[in-house]
Amino acid sequence: MSDYEALTQQIREQARQLLSEGRVDCVIGYEVGPRGVTRPAFIYDAADVDRLVWNASCVHNLVTYLHDKKKPQRRGEEPPRVAVVVKPCDSRTINVLLAERQIARERIFAIGMACEGTVGADGEPLARCTRCGDRVPVVYDVLLGEPPNVSPPQDDYPDLARIEAMPPAERLAFWLGEFDRCIRCYACRQVCPGCYCTTCMFERDDGLWVDIGIEVSGKHIFHLGRALHLAGRCVECDECERVCPMGLPLSLLNRRLVREVDATFHYHAGREETLAPILFEFGGSK
Amino acid sequence: MKFTTRDQLKAWLDGLAAEMDLVAPRGVDGHVFYRPVASGDEVLFDYERPELSAKAFVFPDTEVFLRVEQRGKDVTVEEVRTERKQVIFGVRPCDAHGLAVIDALFLNQEPADAQYQHHRERTVLVGLACPRMWEGCFCTSMGGAPDDATHLDVLLREVEGGYAVEAVSEKGKALVKGLKTKQKAGDPPAPQTNADAVPVVDTATWRTLFNDKLWQRHGERCLSCRICTYVCPTCRCFDVVDRVVDTQPGLTRIERIRVWDACTSTNYRRAAGGHNSRPTKPGRIRNRFYCKFCYYPEDFGPLGCVGCGRCVVSCPVDIDITEIMRDVAAKGGQE
Repeated sequence: MSDYEALTQQIREQARQLLSEGRVDCVIGYEVGPRGVTRPAFIYDAADVDRLVWNASCVHNLVTYLHDKKKPQRRGEEPPRVAVVVKPCDSRTINVLLAERQIARERIFAIGMACEGTVGADGEPLARCTRCGDRVPVVYDVLLGEPPNVSPPQDDYPDLARIEAMPPAERLAFWLGEFDRCIRCYACRQVCPGCYCTTCMFERDDGLWVDIGIEVSGKHIFHLGRALHLAGRCVECDECERVCPMGLPLSLLNRRLVREVDATFHYHAGREETLAPILFEFGGSK
Repeated sequence: MKFTTRDQLKAWLDGLAAEMDLVAPRGVDGHVFYRPVASGDEVLFDYERPELSAKAFVFPDTEVFLRVEQRGKDVTVEEVRTERKQVIFGVRPCDAHGLAVIDALFLNQEPADAQYQHHRERTVLVGLACPRMWEGCFCTSMGGAPDDATHLDVLLREVEGGYAVEAVSEKGKALVKGLKTKQKAGDPPAPQTNADAVPVVDTATWRTLFNDKLWQRHGERCLSCRICTYVCPTCRCFDVVDRVVDTQPGLTRIERIRVWDACTSTNYRRAAGGHNSRPTKPGRIRNRFYCKFCYYPEDFGPLGCVGCGRCVVSCPVDIDITEIMRDVAAKGGQE
């Protein structure tokens, strides 16, 4: 079992050092709000580091907030330097963003956490954690905690097998039923570190194929389109599924493509810092 | 009190469903939503708070309201509107309160919003009181109550063996004529309410805190998604677009639709030419709460929040309207 209290103290000490020595402008970590809910926290002052916590409910992928830190806060200044607390899954998205030239390595300080997995609001381990074999982030500047000694689970995609066993008509009916519940709130897109287009093609005023109507046809195209745009880029942090207020099983779409990219190209997004985006590989610009 | 049983209610609902659009709480893949139902048997009677408010049935998330057809030089314009009556059964009192808040803008300001007015007029609200307050609920702080009849046409309260029936409005009285009831002694039990009230401060106090640091602190973790505004029973922003639905030589068909919009989304404030006057998350979050507690009451009367608690429990990053209200009250008190 993780010693959450000890790790909390270590995160606070790390944050205090980084901020008081001026090595970063902001530490993005977790805090617990008044309702007892763990949530992202932005710390700018060493005096505030005691807000930071580490516990089993640190589910959010904080790397997504690095997109808000890409630009200078004021004209003429350098962009801010940011420390970010990362689990193994989150750390893979750092590599994706580095490979896609979205963030500069020297401006990021990754506080890596040895991870035993996180739990949902019901106290049960998240599905993404039960199938995750990573206990140590793939990229970090400091590693906190002892890597737990557990053997990685075998992920043979039982969730996909259930869907793929359905005849096509039944499968389509299943997905249309799921998409019907979607309210097009875009939480899945907004939380995704890989979804950072300035204007999403599914939200354009002059959208050619998809208008803004909250109707099943547009929702269908949105979800399939988003999944395809993340093929070879999705690291299975599964945040899209966690934040969906309507409980859509979005990981099924992403994992279908993860499996495809693995089988065809033996490529795992974010595993290595130097990995070029797979579409660049196709272009021969390695 | 007037008393009826669940079976009698179901028989009444069967009759209503045959004549008009009937909407009621329904289980959908493990969720509970207000949804169209075809009979009393489809109606859920034991539920907490439907995950989305009832507003979509008078202010649809997507509504075609104009059809335009061009044939050569002939252009026809057709308004789209249903003449069917609608009953929303099992409305929670907070959701009815939410519609009263929207009325303040869409009905009580000139000119009234024609689409909304039409749906409001064709709709009867049959409420079912909450036996207690649910996670995140704070209706009692916002002038409501789990058994508040004020904004409903009919209010039902669960009692031993059935329901107490109260027809509140003329529309409600007419509707319950078809419902079998009998007189019974006693009163419905009072609902359980939460002890801790959420403070509501006046708009002048809000105006002193516009540049406070709390907007940065609460806004920075916002994802800029639309969950809070779409689950909200009072949020009423919309966008209007024309879409081409058919083009052939000599024939074009266009629909004009209105679709929900959300002030929390990145491009809500983007203007022609691309300028965005509300480009940051803290700025957008601040606007959302100023709309509810400052601008809307100043401009149209009621507060823009009824305390349904949906945004509290559904925000993926715990932006909690009650925490913000408490922070504002605490900071405002220091001035």
